[in-house]
Amino acid sequence: MSLHAQDDPALRAAQEDRLRAVWAPPQGLFLRWTDCNNNRVGVWYTLTAFCFMLFAGVLALIMRTQLAVPENDLVSANTFNQLFTLHGSMMMFLFAVPMFEAVSIILLPQLLGARDLPFPRLSAFGYWSFLLGGVFVGGSIFFNAAPDGGWFMYPPLTTRTDLSGLGADIWMLGLSFIEVSSVAAAVELIVGVLKCRPPGMRLNLMPLYAWYILVVAVMILFAFPPLIAGDVLFEMERLLNWPFFDAARGGDPLLWQHLFWIFGHPEVYIVFLPSIALFAMMIPTFAQRHLLGYPWIVLAAVGTAFLSFGLWVHHMFATGLPKISLAFFSAASEAVAIPTGIQIFAFIATLWAGKVKWSTPLLYATGSLAIFVIGGLTGVMVAIAPFDWQAHDTYFVVAHLHYVLIGGTLLPLFGGLYYYWPLITGKKLSDRLGRTAFWTLFVGANLTFFPMHFSGLYGMPRRVFTYPSELGIDYLNLASTIGAYLFAAGTAIICFDLARSPWRQKAPRNPWNAGTLEWLAHPDDEDWGIRSVPLIESRYPIWDQKDFVKKVDEGRFFLPDAEEGRRETIVTTVLDARPLYVVRLGTPSWVPMLTAIALGSVFILTTYHLYWWSLAGAVATLGFVLYWLWTGTAEIPEKDCKPIGHGIELPLYVSGSSAPGWWAMFITMMADATAFSGLVFGYYFFWTVHPEFPPSGPGMDGPGSFWPMVALALAALSWGTTVAARETNRRGIVGTARLLLVIGIAASLAGIWAGLQGPLTTGLDPELHSYPAIVWVLVIWTTAHAGVGAIMQGYTLVRSIAGRMTPRYDADLRNITVYQHFMALTAIVTYATIGLFPGVA
Amino acid sequence: MRGVKASCGVAALFVLGGCNRHQSALTVFGEEAATVRHLTIVMLVGAIVIAAGVAALMITAVRAPEGRLTLSSGMRLIGWVGGVVPVVVLLGLLLYSLPAMRPLPVAQGDLRIAVEGEQFWWRVQYQPPGAAPVVTANEIRVPVGRTVQFDLTAGDVIHSFWIPGLAGKMDMIPGRTNRLIVRASRPGTFRGVCTEFCGLSHALMAFDVVAMEPAAFDAWLANERRPAAPAAATAAGARAFAANGCAGCHAIAGTDAAGQIGPDLTHVGSRTSLGAGNQPMSRAALVRFIEDAPAVKPGARMPAYPQMSRQDAQAIAAYLESMK
Amino acid sequence: MKRGLHGMVTRLKVTLWTLIVPPTVWAAHFLFSYLWAAIHCAKVGGFPRLPILYAVGTIVALLLIAGAGIIAHLQSRVPGDTPPHEEGTDSDRMRFLAFSTVLLAALSFVGVLFTAAPVLFLTDCR
Repeated sequence: MSLHAQDDPALRAAQEDRLRAVWAPPQGLFLRWTDCNNNRVGVWYTLTAFCFMLFAGVLALIMRTQLAVPENDLVSANTFNQLFTLHGSMMMFLFAVPMFEAVSIILLPQLLGARDLPFPRLSAFGYWSFLLGGVFVGGSIFFNAAPDGGWFMYPPLTTRTDLSGLGADIWMLGLSFIEVSSVAAAVELIVGVLKCRPPGMRLNLMPLYAWYILVVAVMILFAFPPLIAGDVLFEMERLLNWPFFDAARGGDPLLWQHLFWIFGHPEVYIVFLPSIALFAMMIPTFAQRHLLGYPWIVLAAVGTAFLSFGLWVHHMFATGLPKISLAFFSAASEAVAIPTGIQIFAFIATLWAGKVKWSTPLLYATGSLAIFVIGGLTGVMVAIAPFDWQAHDTYFVVAHLHYVLIGGTLLPLFGGLYYYWPLITGKKLSDRLGRTAFWTLFVGANLTFFPMHFSGLYGMPRRVFTYPSELGIDYLNLASTIGAYLFAAGTAIICFDLARSPWRQKAPRNPWNAGTLEWLAHPDDEDWGIRSVPLIESRYPIWDQKDFVKKVDEGRFFLPDAEEGRRETIVTTVLDARPLYVVRLGTPSWVPMLTAIALGSVFILTTYHLYWWSLAGAVATLGFVLYWLWTGTAEIPEKDCKPIGHGIELPLYVSGSSAPGWWAMFITMMADATAFSGLVFGYYFFWTVHPEFPPSGPGMDGPGSFWPMVALALAALSWGTTVAARETNRRGIVGTARLLLVIGIAASLAGIWAGLQGPLTTGLDPELHSYPAIVWVLVIWTTAHAGVGAIMQGYTLVRSIAGRMTPRYDADLRNITVYQHFMALTAIVTYATIGLFPGVA
Repeated sequence: MRGVKASCGVAALFVLGGCNRHQSALTVFGEEAATVRHLTIVMLVGAIVIAAGVAALMITAVRAPEGRLTLSSGMRLIGWVGGVVPVVVLLGLLLYSLPAMRPLPVAQGDLRIAVEGEQFWWRVQYQPPGAAPVVTANEIRVPVGRTVQFDLTAGDVIHSFWIPGLAGKMDMIPGRTNRLIVRASRPGTFRGVCTEFCGLSHALMAFDVVAMEPAAFDAWLANERRPAAPAAATAAGARAFAANGCAGCHAIAGTDAAGQIGPDLTHVGSRTSLGAGNQPMSRAALVRFIEDAPAVKPGARMPAYPQMSRQDAQAIAAYLESMK
Repeated sequence: MKRGLHGMVTRLKVTLWTLIVPPTVWAAHFLFSYLWAAIHCAKVGGFPRLPILYAVGTIVALLLIAGAGIIAHLQSRVPGDTPPHEEGTDSDRMRFLAFSTVLLAALSFVGVLFTAAPVLFLTDCR
């Protein structure tokens, strides 16, 4: 190493200047908001989610005040219903899920020794969508227009426009918008974990936080889309009067419950696992040893992810489904406790084996585990169906879920705040205030929620704005209210501590003496993320690798420079993290924000039935997206390869399954296919609930099998031509490839027409019955996808003509081929279902 | 009554709170609820033992000096205590609970009671075997010791039917009929509530439940079957009832009133509560409800009658009160 | 023969995809259970006295999971250094994935047993 080029301080200084210039944030009052560097966007994201949490907490305090004494009239029933609906919805959609994504956007690149995540502009887009949607949903309460149907929004209470107002649309459309941004973040995080690890960080050396984030992001991919499918059906019923949930016209309110809880139960683990991930980072630090049972933790995370998709009906134990169906879900709900137990014991074993350094973050970790265990045990109780028939929709469940979420999400996050604050700001928070806050929160949480177990068993249902004195639960409720104020006081102490932080002294680097990569961050924060991308040989490189920090800082590892003045990071292989290529990252731009605003306008204007305006918003969104793709993606580099140090040269362009873009498309389409399967589930669900399905009668006979088969053939043609275009283009036969793309566009457009002909020619009337309505939805979904496919084919064609897509640089064509695979699958399922299944049934 | 005391005792161990004898899952008067209470106590004790065990382990772990637990014994701890023991305990609990999911057997000759949830009240129809159905509202009476099947549905939105002392809850879903089979074990007056959020007055949607000895129940049902005989002195009330259009929504057997939108009022005077378990039956409460129902129950479909004179309201109240 | 089998088994590469085979089988079996019950109750109105279809499905699922677990177990026994296997080597990465697969197979096996237990107790559609 002695003759290493990096020995020269002048060279290092020059490199640092170049890096600093490349990663310099945009300045100015307005321009600064165009930034997309993860360490800024992540902080905005975190702060916004934190503010939403405080807001939703205040709503809860008002509720607890109302319930302090029986037959209170502080707020009206109407206000109370808005309060609890918004409290639940905001805590889930605007705090718990976004908070985990926000924290991950900050931490993940640090943990992976990457300069940034692969799609920084996507993160920025996700943030602006979140902010816009969150303010829209949360702000509605100031106009007495907040949703008031409960966070679960059960129809028909919420779909009947005579029983519910604008609030239901605000919930459905505002939160759909936020779901889009959650899925965007999930794509970013999955690709980040799989492809942007530093060289040498094989799967078995990955920090456990990254494992958890990978698992959770994949869960989001499969959990959120069914809700999006449900949202589509829900708004179709509200806006167009298509009767998916109206029993009088062949709908079924239970369909919504299925779709909602297929989302809703994994959601619990989506917000719980990231907090466990924080424990998995903190506990080794404070035990000053490697975590025991690394594979067991991975098993637990993956196992929980799978099992959590087999639990949803335990929210529907009282809906009168056959007992045997309930029992399957009861069994799975018991089984999911097993991996949870394993994680807890892995932490206990690590603390036992190590030398425990007592500290404020560890106090939060152990304290929240204690609370979580109680919530977990009552969870095992409510998973037993006969017990749940008593406890369901009573305050017992309120107690259970708050023990789980406070012990499993909120307090771990506060612990993480105390742990990671020095990483973000370079300063430590006060240990004294932190401990005071902890004990206030701990006592407050138990005083609030422990009595609720008994209020519930004494017969207090959930979601009541008042209760009669004769229930004998006055004291229990009063205790809960006092506890809630205590909890609020604890939160206030934390806010006070945070507010004092700017006046505190800088802490030393890596103040807890941790072993993982994120603690390379320097108190004088540089925007480049990491000075040089290290070679990893251990799970705790700062502890185990000799002179590790010094080598990173002196740029002795990879990519220590930004010679071409570009933001870059290294992309590696999935299993063993072998360097693959250098990806050039997005730079600050207005486009993500404008795209978010345009997309937001589509959802928001639809809420107010301003359909032409929202159509304009949709066109604007499409325009921004195309501009974004055209200017910011699949750029042909000025040279083929660049050296990254140590004699390694990496290409600057790859396409196909090595490239992050290909993965992003693949992952997005997995989510899309899951949403589609939610709609298909709807079709077959209606088949099981109706003795005769499809029903017969005027307006219900259709769509026949001829037109669906024609549409299917056209979809197959579109798929075939795209695949053939990819192959001919790869072989340099550009003219043929372009011709094939033209045929593909024609096939896609003709497929839209043929798809619509089926229900049109047979006169299926979607307002009449759930059968024509679900057929129409499937057709619209599929033809809309064909339309998007045509736009993609056209875009690629134009890129080819403009010289931005060539036989060597063909990422665009490869990515749209992935889309076409999924499109073909969608077409097969849709047209076989609507065209052939009626004949079989 | 021993059961009541026992359950209040158990509760008092944990909190110095009140304890009601009407609407509590721990004050049981039915076989289903008794089974679940037993299950509850077993699980509660188990949960306390496990929570204490985990806490003790955690304290030991934090206090132990470095290296007290070796790598291999640590792995054994995770595998056995974290993996195998939970599997065994949870499987045991599952197998113990599954038989409790089987509903009580029901025979052809058992009493059926159809209950339909409405915003925010209960439409009730007794269907004794081999006899014409009897319509009433907002109150459930069951014979002790006989199996009763509830057929539950809803007219507008989803409700849930819960009599904590008798059995677990069952949702009432438009377009579906759910069955709940119960058997009361002792007489008394209890309370049930709606537990699925159903709109503005969800909190005010309850009902009284009277468990009666079989003979008394049969006599009561026979009386319900007959039209009520209001006192002659309340004729003015009957006239006001008709003049104000009450019959548009309410039915009273033996009169022209046959509305189906609101609760049947045939024997309203004999019910223990008014407005779906909202308040005890009294003249004053009736007057208030007649004059301004939305003030008592926000979102109720019954309108306020600001133009109605106080005398009319009182006359109608007297008339209804005498309907026994 | 055994040597041949063993050789074949270790040639199979464990990857992220093989890691999720056991829980995916659990998920498929769970879906199968749900659909089996839902379709019998909605369309047939009851269950056969001996649910042979269900038993076969369950046994197939258990065999698949056990098979995946056994293959992974054989792969995890890479001869070499002592624990903890936390190095950045090919064999430790392989051992990690294989051992995680074994653990997931155990969990999935138990999961299938849990899921199938109700069929022994509840025999009608009420």
